[in-house]
Amino acid sequence: MTKLLLVDDDAELSSMLEQILTKEGYQLTLAADGETGLHRALSGSYDLILLDVMLPGIDGFQLLQRLRQQLRNTPVLMLTARGDDDDRVKGLELGADDYLPKPFNPRELVARVKALLRRTPNTSVTPEPVEYAGFHVNPLQNEVRVDDQVLELTPTEFDILRTLVQGKGQVVSKDQLSVAALGRQLAPFDRSLDVHISNIRKKIAHNPERIQTVRGRGYRLLQLA
Amino acid sequence: MMRWYHSLTLRLLLLFWALLLAVAASGFLLAMWSANPETPRPLPAEVRDILSPLLTDQATFASLTPGRLLAGEYRVAAAVTPEEGPNRLQLEPNLANTHRRELMQQLDAEEPEKLRLPNGMLVGPFTLGNQRILLIRPLSNEERLDFQQHVEEAEHAQTLVLLFGSLFIAVLLGVWLVLPLKRLTKATREIAAGADFLHLKRLPKRSDELGELARALETAAHDLKVSRDAQRRLLSDVSHELRSPLARMQVALMLSQDDHDDATNSHLQQLSRDVERLSTIIERILSLSRLENGLVKLNPQTIDTYQLVQTLVADLAYVDANYGERLLVLDANWPVTASDEELLRLVIENLVRNALQYTAGLVELDCAVHDDKTFTIIVRDHGDGVPEQQLEQLFEPFFRGDPSRHHKSGVGLGMTLSLRAANVIGGVVSARNHPEGGLEISIRLPLNTPTQDDEQIEVRGS
Repeated sequence: MTKLLLVDDDAELSSMLEQILTKEGYQLTLAADGETGLHRALSGSYDLILLDVMLPGIDGFQLLQRLRQQLRNTPVLMLTARGDDDDRVKGLELGADDYLPKPFNPRELVARVKALLRRTPNTSVTPEPVEYAGFHVNPLQNEVRVDDQVLELTPTEFDILRTLVQGKGQVVSKDQLSVAALGRQLAPFDRSLDVHISNIRKKIAHNPERIQTVRGRGYRLLQLA
Repeated sequence: MMRWYHSLTLRLLLLFWALLLAVAASGFLLAMWSANPETPRPLPAEVRDILSPLLTDQATFASLTPGRLLAGEYRVAAAVTPEEGPNRLQLEPNLANTHRRELMQQLDAEEPEKLRLPNGMLVGPFTLGNQRILLIRPLSNEERLDFQQHVEEAEHAQTLVLLFGSLFIAVLLGVWLVLPLKRLTKATREIAAGADFLHLKRLPKRSDELGELARALETAAHDLKVSRDAQRRLLSDVSHELRSPLARMQVALMLSQDDHDDATNSHLQQLSRDVERLSTIIERILSLSRLENGLVKLNPQTIDTYQLVQTLVADLAYVDANYGERLLVLDANWPVTASDEELLRLVIENLVRNALQYTAGLVELDCAVHDDKTFTIIVRDHGDGVPEQQLEQLFEPFFRGDPSRHHKSGVGLGMTLSLRAANVIGGVVSARNHPEGGLEISIRLPLNTPTQDDEQIEVRGS
């Protein structure tokens, strides 16, 4: 059974979401504050973590940061009720895979959860290592090396980079990347893919611009001269 | 606490006083210098030779009283007679009035000397026995000219000294008074621009009123920052507190939906739509509030405006196919500029959505670059336009031209948001009725040169 962890201090919302997600066939564990959330996330093995931003004690961002230091591969879906668009994107920058602003349509939540879970086994589709533009992707070990240095990537960033490397310098459209990494089509007015790309660039020490934006079309890798 | 002797008024008073005194003193000194420039010089031998023979006879000498003509143009200026008594010292009355001091000094000289006075050449003393006399003759033309020149030179020097002296003091005043004022003006502008640290240098350490003003400004800047932070926190809290119940409502509505009949379901759907609408209104109000209170952090980046509107049109078409068919991006000179992409998109999106919602026909997006500094993005619809007197109100919150369409349309904040967001990125939004029908909204924006370090390449219209 697929195990989900929901960290949210809103007990009523949590219990209703539990009903909905249980009906969809997931086993949901609840945590009402940051400390408990972090403890549960690190001790149990969950397939997906749903994380609210405003939490008593450690807030969602801090929790995410600490979580990512130890647990890179579990997908995290941020539920944000903060007003600023900045706040929404901040979760992605700290290593969340996707976000959903509150109030959300519960059907949308179920769809996002399914998309993120569907994506996870995809990593083993091409088990043989691929290499391009200085990137060395080893899907079996979930590892990307750039210029012989290991990159610390979240699952989403890993999938984006893997898809780009497999493109071998061809332009990969945003939709392709979104399907490969987030398990869903890119929604209109959605900036999440751009944020993920910008995060990957930040992690590359030399020539991060080898991941090139092709405006209106997508992204591609540039072979270094 | 400012002490009385730190008062700027007092300091200014003292400074001006000192300035006046300095000017007056220098004037006085110069006057002294030019009025008493002469020192006695030894009497040339030939003059002595001419005069001495006349002064050897005791009787003649005794008869020489002031005013008496001796020889040539020489007349007696002063005499000291051997008799004791009040008449022992005799002075020529005119000279005694104007140059008594010189006369007395000269009478005591060891050797005969000559001394130039403004109205004559004083010569002497000549001594015979215990009598002494001083002689005076008018100045020759040459000597007079020389004297006048001397006076003029002194006057020039005086003017120059006063000029440079006052200039120096004015510069001093400027540095001391005007420079701090300029710095304070700049700091005030910094506050207006939202800075919380002011570049006042040592100004707040000054003990006078200017220092006090600088300290007050610093406090104001700090207070403003605190209040801005509080406002930001409040907005964030309000946002959270309003959205949480809405989120619960939405989930509760979905949970109730499954087990009810169709009639109830349609009511629940209506509720669900209203919850969504409510959350949109909240989001808009919060955005507006952030924009109006200067709480938006700008993130300038290179934007290809053509690409931006193309993406926008694609997004809107994705939301509603009908929108996609009605939107037309004209093939104009769409510039590449540096601005905040999110805000620029917000400006255009709200105007376009508005046009799509309120009219049925085509909505055109056009652009014109005016010069190197500005460009205008134009959103034009083909509806009925807006009565002239309502054009101004168009951008007011919750204003609707046609109240009957209240329910169908948006939340009534789109235009206001556009206007505010445009202001934040330095733009101006204006509306007019197009001569050939339809409403035309223009967004006039500054054209900024993109920064060099942008690595993105432009591939147009794929």
